[in-house]
Amino acid sequence: MALEAKARPRARLSGGDLFLRLLVAAAAVGVAALLVALGVELAYNSQLSLATYGFGFLTGTVWDPVHLVFGALPFIFGTLVTSALALLIGIPISLGVAIFLSEKAKERRALASSLGSLVELLAAVPSVIYGLWGLFVLAPFMKTYVETPLHAYLGFLPLFSTTPIGTDFLTAGVILAIMIIPTATAVSRDILNAVPNSQREAMYSLGATDWEVTRKAVLPYARSGIFGATILGLGRAVGETMAVTMVIGNAPVISASLLSEGYTLTSLIVNQFNETTSPLYASAMVEIGLVLFGLALIINLFARALIWRMTRGTKFRV
Amino acid sequence: MFPIMSAWTFAYTQVQPNIQVNYASIGSGAGIAQITAGTLNCGASDAPLSAAQYSALPAGSTLLTIPESSSAVVPAYNIPGIASTTHLNFTGNVLAEIFLGNITLWNDPAIVALNPHVSLPAQAITVVHRSDGSGTMYTFTNYLSDSNAVWKTKVGYATSVNWPTGIGCKGNEGVAGCIANNQYSIGPLEIAYQITNPGAINYGAVQNKAGNYILANLTNIAEAVNAGVKAGLPASNAHWTGFSIVNNIFNDSADAHIYPITTFTYLLVYQNLSASYAGTTQPQAIGTVNFISWVVNHGQSAGVKIGYPPLPASVVAIDNTALASVTYNGTPILSGS
Repeated sequence: MALEAKARPRARLSGGDLFLRLLVAAAAVGVAALLVALGVELAYNSQLSLATYGFGFLTGTVWDPVHLVFGALPFIFGTLVTSALALLIGIPISLGVAIFLSEKAKERRALASSLGSLVELLAAVPSVIYGLWGLFVLAPFMKTYVETPLHAYLGFLPLFSTTPIGTDFLTAGVILAIMIIPTATAVSRDILNAVPNSQREAMYSLGATDWEVTRKAVLPYARSGIFGATILGLGRAVGETMAVTMVIGNAPVISASLLSEGYTLTSLIVNQFNETTSPLYASAMVEIGLVLFGLALIINLFARALIWRMTRGTKFRV
Repeated sequence: MFPIMSAWTFAYTQVQPNIQVNYASIGSGAGIAQITAGTLNCGASDAPLSAAQYSALPAGSTLLTIPESSSAVVPAYNIPGIASTTHLNFTGNVLAEIFLGNITLWNDPAIVALNPHVSLPAQAITVVHRSDGSGTMYTFTNYLSDSNAVWKTKVGYATSVNWPTGIGCKGNEGVAGCIANNQYSIGPLEIAYQITNPGAINYGAVQNKAGNYILANLTNIAEAVNAGVKAGLPASNAHWTGFSIVNNIFNDSADAHIYPITTFTYLLVYQNLSASYAGTTQPQAIGTVNFISWVVNHGQSAGVKIGYPPLPASVVAIDNTALASVTYNGTPILSGS
């Protein structure tokens, strides 16, 4: 019996099975091919700009469409800063919500499910609505109640040294944080729910309190999954366009201050792509798209490498 | 130019209920790009085509540039404590210095000198401009280039420029919103947007060559257009690169009451239409020409309410001549007229 179970012959596929197998394989290959095609198309259309500016495009700080001097560094800086802020603010909050939903609300199922639904509803709000709300509600609020005091009391720090205007890196980071909370929360909650009860019971039997169980038994087990949720959030933050454009101030500035106006790669594309008045300008815009594409790829690969390192030698995979 | 285009497309459906005109407010650059690609029957732009854009047009085609309305750019500001009946005075040079970031306080001596009877606060100026490419910004930076040599070499004029300072807001509506939300801010705004949002935003008077401080209104914008036309327009089928009313009237000291930051808005249509332009059909060609003809001859009153003065008769005549030359497959469309 055991021998039979091991030696399972591979069945010859025919007819419907073969067709299905091919169809599914085609879909998988097609998606991968789409990614490659996207990269190739971007590189092809930015040839003119690549030839004209070379590597200096990534280090240049001036974006001048009149004199045709283009450099992407302020935009790369803006994308990285706003995404980092979004993670710094958003991930702890979403982790807290996920812990509450999965650990603490076990006795109150109705509360857990309705709260969970509300958080997921946040993801259903279109990003341009976030942008409008950000411009007319959040930016003035941040300027008056958050940034002006920060600048007044902590203005000696480079982080808060510029005059607050409301549409700046900080507000953009806050809006992005709000936008990544639903996704990160949903994924984290599922990860936490997937932690086997045996882990918790073992910890309880050693006399741990609720919080100690969460901190020492559940979270370490779910570590790589939560990291994966963070990467999902980062991916959304890097690619977010309309919400950021409305509140970031759209000025290509590199500054240590969070209260300074800035610019991201996505905002630049949405603002200026339609108004390119010469082939070199258009090519430079496509190269910005290529840089964004490359940045997203690099972040993902880096994250995968990190997760692989974290889970190396353990049984847990993402 | 969205307010007036939407007024016209609406009014035209009353006149010709079976013709549907779709106006997509996507920006001058996109309008030009799409007429180059042939995906539109007619493009609209606040700025004429650049040399590079002309060379991108299909070979053998002739693009007609038809001025169909005029508009003005005003320096809009938000200064609490100054009455809405008081309008600050500006000169082109002072505006350029503000937008260059050289004048940073509202009570700078240069601004105080122009406004001796106003008590200006000692507050930092927040500069606001468009983040997207815009014909309104083309006109404004054109005026700044003429007024200030440093601006001309350092920044220049175009639909998108490298603004030395300030925050960028998307669309004229965005600029109006940013000015309203930021106290002590200033930004260039198409006058129609100020008229429809008088609230927290006020606008200033600009000095013309004759030395008078002109607060933009229908009359002085119309006078500026007349003066600009007097100085000469390119032929309808010629290249309009570098043409602007701003350039034509900048050194005009004879006309005492013209508003200096005035611009045409243009409709762009090919002179020799045929199915080779992305399948333009004859009914579409006829409908397009009829619509433009209606706009030029009968639609001008629709814009008056929202701050767009009617075209002068001389321009109407030039436009009609241009439209009469539009052919479909070689046959004039407005035949018999």
